[in-house]
Amino acid sequence: MKKRLLIVEDEKNLCLLYREELTKAGYRVTAVTDAEAALERMKKQKFDLIITDIRMPGKNGIELITQIMAMRKDIPIIINTAYQSYKHDFMTWAADAYIVKSASLDELKAKIKELVG
Amino acid sequence: MIERYNLFLREFSPEMSKELQLFSIIAQSFFQPFSLMDNLLVIMTALTAGPGLGFNRAMLFLADKDSLKGEFWLGPASPEEAESIWRVLSTPGIGYAEIIEHNRSLLTSDAETLTKRVKKLAYPIDKNESLIPALTASARQIVLVRDAPNEPLVDKRFVETIGAEEFLCIPLVSQKEVLGEIILDNAITKAPIQSRDIELASICGLIASNYIYTARLQRRIVDMKKEAAMGEMAMFITHQLRNPLVTIGGFADQLLNPKTPERKKRRNIQIIRSEIRRLEKILLRLSQFLKVDTREKVVVDVQDVLNLVRETLRPRIAGRRIILDIEIEAGLRIVRCDPTSLGEALRNILDNAVDAVGHDGRIEIRAYRENAERAVIAVHDTGPGIPDAIRDKIFDSFVSTKEKGMGLGLAYVKRVVDTCGGRIEVKSAEGEGTTFKLYFQTSPREGGAQS
Repeated sequence: MKKRLLIVEDEKNLCLLYREELTKAGYRVTAVTDAEAALERMKKQKFDLIITDIRMPGKNGIELITQIMAMRKDIPIIINTAYQSYKHDFMTWAADAYIVKSASLDELKAKIKELVG
Repeated sequence: MIERYNLFLREFSPEMSKELQLFSIIAQSFFQPFSLMDNLLVIMTALTAGPGLGFNRAMLFLADKDSLKGEFWLGPASPEEAESIWRVLSTPGIGYAEIIEHNRSLLTSDAETLTKRVKKLAYPIDKNESLIPALTASARQIVLVRDAPNEPLVDKRFVETIGAEEFLCIPLVSQKEVLGEIILDNAITKAPIQSRDIELASICGLIASNYIYTARLQRRIVDMKKEAAMGEMAMFITHQLRNPLVTIGGFADQLLNPKTPERKKRRNIQIIRSEIRRLEKILLRLSQFLKVDTREKVVVDVQDVLNLVRETLRPRIAGRRIILDIEIEAGLRIVRCDPTSLGEALRNILDNAVDAVGHDGRIEIRAYRENAERAVIAVHDTGPGIPDAIRDKIFDSFVSTKEKGMGLGLAYVKRVVDTCGGRIEVKSAEGEGTTFKLYFQTSPREGGAQS
């Protein structure tokens, strides 16, 4: 069965790109543009992996991670951000991977494969 | 009964002790705006000028990286010069202010002054350096040299330069580092240096050390602030550029894939184009943000600027039910400002106001003179107000409530107001709208142009 990914990314075009590329890579992809929408979706559906940005309007990615961990401790999380510097933020250690956004999605795809197959 | 005295002693009574005179002069220097060189000049003048400590000459070295460098040298070069200077200085009405002014002019003079000679001197500060004057600084000891030409511990070139047999070395140090050194002599009068003179000079040395140390700390704070701002800026630019670049790269890769259908390719090109436009906009705003400091400051007519801003704003409010109500006091001017930057700043505030009121509301602009020196430009909107959570942060760079906002708009306004020597205030309550008040210096009502 196809693995379900939830992507949280506030940039609409990037959201579209990730959805298309990861669908092509063989996943069932849900993409939302803010943390609140992500939490709503998680209540309705079971995901195998969460990919989230950090800097977003409204609730940021770190707050989102904290809440996800309170809901479901076992779900793997990938942080996908334009910032190198959040790596030093203690809460980002809770995520399973920290990826700095790149035009090539190879690193992201490899990490997803490693975490959920 | 009360007795009143002046806070600043201008004239000193002959009975007043040398020490008290000296320290009242130095203490008064604290009331001047802080300039390291000026404050050191006051101390050095106090050390040399007649009614003070009365050394004939005072030489100052400052530590620059790992060496002591000659900075200035006050006092006469020869007995003849001494006589003429001291005659002038003893003229009634010539006080410390005049002497300091005279000394200040010597520092920048082109003539063959003592300062010219000392500026050629530099000594490495090194624990292994065994010669005076560097030795006294690195050993952190006050040293009185009695017979310089025959003293093997004194650098020969230094003996030639100072030309005095007896001199006093006061090292200027902080807890950790060497800051400089003061060297005092009585080369003209040949008066022997007394132990009381040494005690007083050493206290002056401590005060000078404090000045230098404070100036260094200040400089370090400014550097750190700059670095922090640069770091924040670099991080912000990285993020701003990375998102569009990742988007462009990703959709360009899809274009190269032969399996991508034609319709999708066209869509991708549209997306790429819009992201490139966004990059352009980012660069434009960044360059605008960075340019503020370099623009020339002139007298600005508020009416002219606001008229232009209103014109550029017209297309944005066309088709909305926004009432734009402007009242400007005739002839209102702001001194020392750049009209382009001011216009852009006001446009930023008004853009936010338009966003805030949406399609229906009122924006009021008032520009008036508050008092003889102060002009106010106030912009009020009937929008929803600024959320409490971010009200303290709105002028920080890179804080935005807008999805694609760069957070530069109000930071830019603050930068412009700061460079014009003005001030900005914001009043906002959720549900009651927002008022920005910009305060600037104004020119006299009927006065001509100033710059």
